Amino acid sequence: MDEVTPPASTATPPPDPAYGPAVGRSLADKEKLRELEGVAADKTARDYQHIVLAYGVLWALFAGYGIFLWRRSARLRADMNDLQRRLDQRAR
Amino acid sequence: MRKILPDLCLLAAMPLLVYSVHRVFLETPIERQMGTAFKIFFFHVPMGWLCMLMAVICGVAAGVQLRRRSAVAGAVALAAAELGFVTGLGVLLTGPIWGSATWGTPWTGDARQVTTALLWLVIAAYLLLRHYGPRSSDRLAAALAIFGAVNVPIIYYAVKLWKTMHPSTGVVASLPPEMWATFWPGLIALALCTLALFGLRTRQLVLADELDAAWVRLDDNL
Amino acid sequence: MRVVRQAVLLLRSELRQELRDFELLLSAGFFTLVLLAMFYLSFASLPVKHSLPAVPAMLWLTIAFVGVLTLTRAFDREREADTLRALLAAPVERLAIYLAKAALCLLVLMLCCLVLVPGLWLMFPGGAAFAEQPGQTALLVLLGCGGYVAVGTLFAAGLATGGGKNTLLFIILYPLTTPILLYALATTRALLDRHPDLPGFLGQMAALDLILFALAALLFETVLVGAGVAHRPRDRPRDRNLSRKPAP
Repeated sequence: MDEVTPPASTATPPPDPAYGPAVGRSLADKEKLRELEGVAADKTARDYQHIVLAYGVLWALFAGYGIFLWRRSARLRADMNDLQRRLDQRAR
Repeated sequence: MRKILPDLCLLAAMPLLVYSVHRVFLETPIERQMGTAFKIFFFHVPMGWLCMLMAVICGVAAGVQLRRRSAVAGAVALAAAELGFVTGLGVLLTGPIWGSATWGTPWTGDARQVTTALLWLVIAAYLLLRHYGPRSSDRLAAALAIFGAVNVPIIYYAVKLWKTMHPSTGVVASLPPEMWATFWPGLIALALCTLALFGLRTRQLVLADELDAAWVRLDDNL
Repeated sequence: MRVVRQAVLLLRSELRQELRDFELLLSAGFFTLVLLAMFYLSFASLPVKHSLPAVPAMLWLTIAFVGVLTLTRAFDREREADTLRALLAAPVERLAIYLAKAALCLLVLMLCCLVLVPGLWLMFPGGAAFAEQPGQTALLVLLGCGGYVAVGTLFAAGLATGGGKNTLLFIILYPLTTPILLYALATTRALLDRHPDLPGFLGQMAALDLILFALAALLFETVLVGAGVAHRPRDRPRDRNLSRKPAP
């Protein structure tokens, strides 16, 4: 027997029009798949962290500006009341 | 009508924001090349556009302020600069977060990044000058804003020229239509929010000016 | 023509004042030397490969620093004697004032470059190309300094009339002059690399200079004088606070 037989795992079955190649997952394939899924899940989780961080930064900025506006308007109102008081004083 | 316009904008932005977040996280497919982190695009890019818009508004208002000596234009310019500062900061912070997720590095020195950073510096300088400048600095600040607005395209070309001396990196390619369908509501919502804050701040500045004038009149009459 | 004649007259008087004590030139020249020495101490051991991108940076950083010093000093002189206000009230075209000041600062900066560029060439192997293309180097430095001075004169003058706080010039000038400095940086790099497109880059820089000069000249009068002085309530918050105390 000079003919070299290829290893079983890589052997392609003889082409048979009636039967397609059997699609099944060996234990090794399954483990490989699970590992890849783990990597993908990790990546997604990390990406989501980035997204949440970016979203947080965005809304924090807007909220910060809102607070700034609010405090400014409070100061403005106090100033206006002051002026009103002064005017009332003078009217009396 | 003009009084409640900012409130109307905020009201309209609320459902749009919810819809946009829903679309971004639940309806839009994950981009092949860049993965999930690509979703940062949907609010990073609108912020960039809004920052540019605010810079342009600031420059135009500063021109009107110089030409007509209008205090209202001055208030518009200051409010636009403040919002440009906020949105610019948003772009500059979310950009590197996106970059570190997809490119593996927060800063690539891409022309757009550098242009935005330099524009933001000009806006910051404008705000510093408006707040801490000497008495006649309103007009000087207006000139600064005009120069800043004119500088934007020049900076972009300068950075591109500067980059040709360095290795360059690729940026976002074209988008499929369903991505754009997610992009527009987010853009409109953010734009409405920004414009509402802009309107509120402008009105506040005008009121502060009038209040100061009233105090001065009171003092003069004493 | 009238503007040019007036500008020449003003420049001549500026030069006469400068020749009396050489204050601007000596302080700017000395500062250039100090910066050169500091750069030398920091980067003397840089290998040739790395000194190539470092030389343009050192050149333009020095010009940026020395430029601010020159602009500040040039207008400080006016401020101390309040002569700028007098000049603005005189029957002189405002454009002529701008041109004279800009020309003076440009002249001082160019004289500083006479020390700076040969210094960089002697100290760093990356600067060898400066000596090979002296004409283009001179043009490059002239165009870069010109754009810088065009913007700087406007803002230095604006701050000088405001009274106090001209440290702000550092804050507002650098962000605004980044485009021209960036262009100058890239063009210097092209010159050192013996890039074939160098004339094109120089042409673009000239166009940019023209834009900056035109814009600054256009804004100069408005920024310095405005359209008449109306009352500005924002100027008086301090008075207001004082008067808020209950009247006796």
